Amino acid sequence: MKIILEAVNIKKKIKQELILKGINLKVYKGEFLSIIGASGSGKSTLLYILGLLDKPTGGNIILEGENIDFKNVKKLTVLRNKKFGFVFQFHYLIPEFTAVENVIIPMLKAKTNKKQALQRATNLLKQLGLTEKINKRPFELSGGEQQRVAIARALANKPSIILADEPTGNLDSKNTQNVMEILLNLNNKYKTTIIMVTHELELAKLTDRTIELVDGKITKEIINKPDKYTHVQN
Amino acid sequence: MIHNIFISSKFLIERKRQTAVALLGVAIGVSAFIVMTSLMRGFQKYFIKQALNINGHINLKVEENNDELRIVKKAFNPEKYLFVVLGSKPKEKKYKISNYKQIIKMYSSNPEIIGISPHLLGTGMVVYGTKEKNASLIGIYPELENKTVSFKEYLKSGKLSQLEADKNNIIIGIKLADDLGIKEPGKKISIVSPSGNIYTLKVIDFLNTGITEIDKTRIYIHIKKLQTILEKPGQVNEIIFKIKHPEDAVSVAKQISLQTGYKAESWQEAFRNFLSLFRMQNYITYIIVFSILVVSAFGIFNIIMMTVLEKKKDIAILKAIGYSNIDIIFIFTMQGLIIGIIGGIIGNILGFYILEWLETVKIEVEGIIRVKGFILDRNILYHLFGFIFAFVFSLLAAFYPSYRASKLYPVDIFRTGG
Ligand SMILES: Nc1ncnc2c1ncn2[C@@H]1O[C@H](COP(=O)(O)OP(=O)(O)O)[C@@H](O)[C@H]1O
Ligand SMILES: [Mg+2]
Repeated sequence: MKIILEAVNIKKKIKQELILKGINLKVYKGEFLSIIGASGSGKSTLLYILGLLDKPTGGNIILEGENIDFKNVKKLTVLRNKKFGFVFQFHYLIPEFTAVENVIIPMLKAKTNKKQALQRATNLLKQLGLTEKINKRPFELSGGEQQRVAIARALANKPSIILADEPTGNLDSKNTQNVMEILLNLNNKYKTTIIMVTHELELAKLTDRTIELVDGKITKEIINKPDKYTHVQN
Repeated sequence: MIHNIFISSKFLIERKRQTAVALLGVAIGVSAFIVMTSLMRGFQKYFIKQALNINGHINLKVEENNDELRIVKKAFNPEKYLFVVLGSKPKEKKYKISNYKQIIKMYSSNPEIIGISPHLLGTGMVVYGTKEKNASLIGIYPELENKTVSFKEYLKSGKLSQLEADKNNIIIGIKLADDLGIKEPGKKISIVSPSGNIYTLKVIDFLNTGITEIDKTRIYIHIKKLQTILEKPGQVNEIIFKIKHPEDAVSVAKQISLQTGYKAESWQEAFRNFLSLFRMQNYITYIIVFSILVVSAFGIFNIIMMTVLEKKKDIAILKAIGYSNIDIIFIFTMQGLIIGIIGGIIGNILGFYILEWLETVKIEVEGIIRVKGFILDRNILYHLFGFIFAFVFSLLAAFYPSYRASKLYPVDIFRTGG
């Protein structure tokens, strides 16, 4: 397995407080990694830095072998659009737009023509069981449906890595199960790399590998599916 | 960029009422600019045109050049001495242009000068029945006058030649006739000369220039007759000139002044009070219109600012999925621009139809000028400027909130759950 994303001694200070205290983490191409930890342990902060949404106070991020220059804002913007897909606890769908319009927004930025974008968005929504909801506005959808639209949007530009910050945090158990199935299926079928933050151990156990964050440091690594890591080369 | 326009217009359409109010503000500002500019310029251009048509471009008057050193210069060589005159009494009052024939001859071959007409000016009292009025009496050579100003054009029945045919014929201003109670030509009036002699003259035509001041005071008489009335045989005390390029009147007047030794006044000097009044009028109009535009710009500013504050979550997610700061500025500035452009178009159409309507209105307007209805100076440029103002103001109004939006840090929103 190849390394797709690497954090090297990542530190993050917020308001004089060290939130991340030197994180070293290798993320392998095609793995489903989960990050667990108590509330306030720094999981989201780490995820934002891995997704190039926030800049670290110290350390390096290496994406597909390339060291990220956090000063090059333009490059960061392009990388976020092309390489990453984000799913948050809240869906952040734009209320003025229908489901399908929300999904094409990242594609339009990537200069996909509108017709192709609409076609791909429609397909994605269909695959996620939202055939009936394609032209509905977010307020007409249930929480689970909204989150599935958000996942479709994250997948819009065929990202290399999906970053999910407690994607089921706001959902009931049925929808939670549904969203987890979608993510697992995505990882299995399309080999999409997924990094998911959660504080539910049960969900973490379903992923390939889990790391635990305590007070801004990685304290534990659990490999849930050892057979997937037989070819790991360091 | 098309994707940004797509997003902007969606945002705008969602706030129909606010957008409509802002659009209305811009439209009113733009149409007010177009209508007020057309009205004002129309009035001013009309006034100047009429006044020039009847007054000539340059007036040569008997007053001497106000050279305070003229007396000392006669006694001492001005090249050798430096003089300071602390005050001089105008002692050498001239009352006629004695060499007027020579002056006319001198300029009649000048290609810059199209017409020259000598005048004898005076005042007198006109009596008609029991009515008495003071009037300015203008003695003219009818043919020369008509070559120098558009005199015939303003006569009610165009009987200029009868002034020559019978020297007892006169033409009087239409408002003066009204004041005296004269309704039709053919009436006889009396003119009392300064020395007390009474002359009976026949009104053969009325002068109607539309400029109240002129129509209310002037009486035109053949110059020979007026010389008799005023007991100034053969005298001339004013010469008016018509020149090829009226805009050059100032410099031509200066040249005539120097060459003749008399004070030559250009129309720009003669009308300087009006011209500065017009300038003032323009300033006031532009201040009013500018204020309307500023208010509508604030409307736009408000909408965009509110949208930005309400849409923090949307801005955060747009930035997270790869929209750059410039995209965000564009999305929000575009909303202001759309309001400005559509408001500008509506304002142009509105202004156009208000002007169309004003043109059909026939009311008697009486002030400095008398006209039926409004005189409009309609110009595509005013429409264009109105549109450009709307564009620029909305751009300026929308830019700051849009810039603020672009500076939003998405992580701050995601942390708090937005
Ligand atoms: N903007 C901020 N200001 C102050 N403290 C912050 C800010 N953002 C995060 N923190 C702190 O950083 C720590 C880690 O936050 P976070 O990464 O959100 O934790 P988790 O996602 O694991 O719950 C918390 O103690 C939180 O209070
Ligand atoms: Mg968190």
